[in-house]
Amino acid sequence: MDRLERFVRLVDGLNERVGRAVSWLTLAMVLVTFFVAVMRYGFAWGQVWIQESYVWMHGLVFMLGAGYTLLHQGHVRVDILYRGASLRFRAWVDLVGSLLLALPMMVTVFVVSWPYVLESWLKLESSREAGGLPGLFLLKTALLLFALLVGLQALALAMRAWLALRGRPQLYQTHGQEAG
Amino acid sequence: MGAEILAILMFLVVCGVLLLGYPVAFTLGGTALAFAFVGDLAGVFDLRLLGGLPSRYFGVMVNEVLVAVPLFVFMGVVLERSGLAEQLLETMGLLFGRLRGGLAYSVTIVGMLLAAATGIVGATVVTMGLLSLPAMLKAGYDRGLACGTICASGTLGQIIPPSIVLVILGDILQGANTEAQLALGNFAPEPVSVVDLFAGAMIPGLVLVGLYLLYEALVAWLRPAAAPPLVEAGERVEHLGRRVLVAVLPAAILIVAVLGSILVGLATPTESAAIGGVGAMLLAAARRRLSLAMLREVMRETTKISSMVFVILLGASIFSLVFRGFGGDQMVRDLLHNLPGGEVGAIVSVMLLMFLLGFFIDFIEITFVVVPIVGPPLIMLGYDPIWLGVMIGINLQTSFLTPPFGFALFYLRGVAPPEVTTADIYRGIIPFVALQLVGLLLVGLFPQLATWLPQALFG
Repeated sequence: MDRLERFVRLVDGLNERVGRAVSWLTLAMVLVTFFVAVMRYGFAWGQVWIQESYVWMHGLVFMLGAGYTLLHQGHVRVDILYRGASLRFRAWVDLVGSLLLALPMMVTVFVVSWPYVLESWLKLESSREAGGLPGLFLLKTALLLFALLVGLQALALAMRAWLALRGRPQLYQTHGQEAG
Repeated sequence: MGAEILAILMFLVVCGVLLLGYPVAFTLGGTALAFAFVGDLAGVFDLRLLGGLPSRYFGVMVNEVLVAVPLFVFMGVVLERSGLAEQLLETMGLLFGRLRGGLAYSVTIVGMLLAAATGIVGATVVTMGLLSLPAMLKAGYDRGLACGTICASGTLGQIIPPSIVLVILGDILQGANTEAQLALGNFAPEPVSVVDLFAGAMIPGLVLVGLYLLYEALVAWLRPAAAPPLVEAGERVEHLGRRVLVAVLPAAILIVAVLGSILVGLATPTESAAIGGVGAMLLAAARRRLSLAMLREVMRETTKISSMVFVILLGASIFSLVFRGFGGDQMVRDLLHNLPGGEVGAIVSVMLLMFLLGFFIDFIEITFVVVPIVGPPLIMLGYDPIWLGVMIGINLQTSFLTPPFGFALFYLRGVAPPEVTTADIYRGIIPFVALQLVGLLLVGLFPQLATWLPQALFG
């Protein structure tokens, strides 16, 4: 049993760190986009790579932040029934939902993205725009990381629910509350 | 024929599974995948179609227009924490409080100002619920009227630009329009932009504000006891004019900078959202609310909201891909083209469908799942995409207000004092939902309300 708990804490820690790290990109996006707008209209200066940079940051934020969002219960639920339901009902929904809905989706995304990302790595693909950023293959890798991070967090959610159904609801109930 | 039955069945099963309460994004994606496998076994779906997913997902990641969403969210969360709403409510209350129905007017006007400055429903409803609801109850307002006013005014951010709904709708409608025009043999269609939609929603948004104010005035006139004036014990307010100016000025500057720069074509929505974000941080700094701890919270909140929105889009794209694979889009097109009542029948039934879906799911799901399916056939029937977008926008705003699953109602329930019952909130919102339908009908009957301003601005 304790192995399950250790796994849950490990995944929580991973997504917490990744989420906090990518959240800085939101501030960077605001500042870079602001800078681009000012330079363009004020000084008629513009570079493709800097315009691409805030778009890329946006892509990284929601893809790599998705596991963190799941950890913090940030993904919207239709909670007409769920909200008022018993712990048992909620735990069953989260257990079955994670195993039959979220995990298959993440496995599929990973499997279909693999050749797509691999192809990009093999030619070390750069931005198609002239003057754009190099390393497009790194950005595309976010597809795999997204599937991995969300998949792991969904697995952790399933384990929490499983433990709760087995009479150990602590991890399940404190789920999503700000860690440290 | 089998495939089409699977398409219908998938739609129904998704609705059912959503009700259980697992996160929407994964419910949409997971259920659709299960149907894809069943369809593959039955020989009516080709799993290789799923190979198109990575490039679609990547397309969302590098979509410049959608960058406006996290930027507007960032701006909104900063403003929420800057105390702007509190100050606006306080001074507007002083300004109108002594009028019959005055507190209701001030809530509606503050709702409008906040809507034009930002576009986040939760924050506005919560703030007004915390500050105005106690004041209104103390003054002796009818509970239903107070709750309805706060919920409806708090959701104006959905329709009054800049609005996140309109950014997303604009992007989806652009795709729908291209698809429809191609099907009609027009290979160089006029693009539909988010800016057009912003301009189009301006007047209808103000019409709704007018309807709310009119209703509040009517209640105050017919049932004075439901909306009494504040009876302050002779306390004179010093420098009222200056205080109002001090409160309204920062909001006004932000609105002019953000909305103005978009509407006169100076900046793209994405750029002006960043300008708004920097402006909001300056405003917070001026109020000594800006700190590293505050920024950290804002960044994390922005990450979560933006991820929540886009992961639903990722789940919904699996749903639409499978739905199309089953020939569901063709089925919907045939259905809409053959309805009794022609084009009018088609638009009325789509609006009705969205209104009904709004009772259970909210704008993001409807935009991502339903609009790509019904958008192209409606545009092919000759409906103006901007007008269509505004109609959908009003309809989706209403979904925030319709019980039992209206976000605005939940937000208010969360902060309302215990003597306010859920029944009070439901009772109070009904007249406002009716006003929304009146607004929808007005824009439906007089499309110029939505199409005039974009034409006047951009030709």
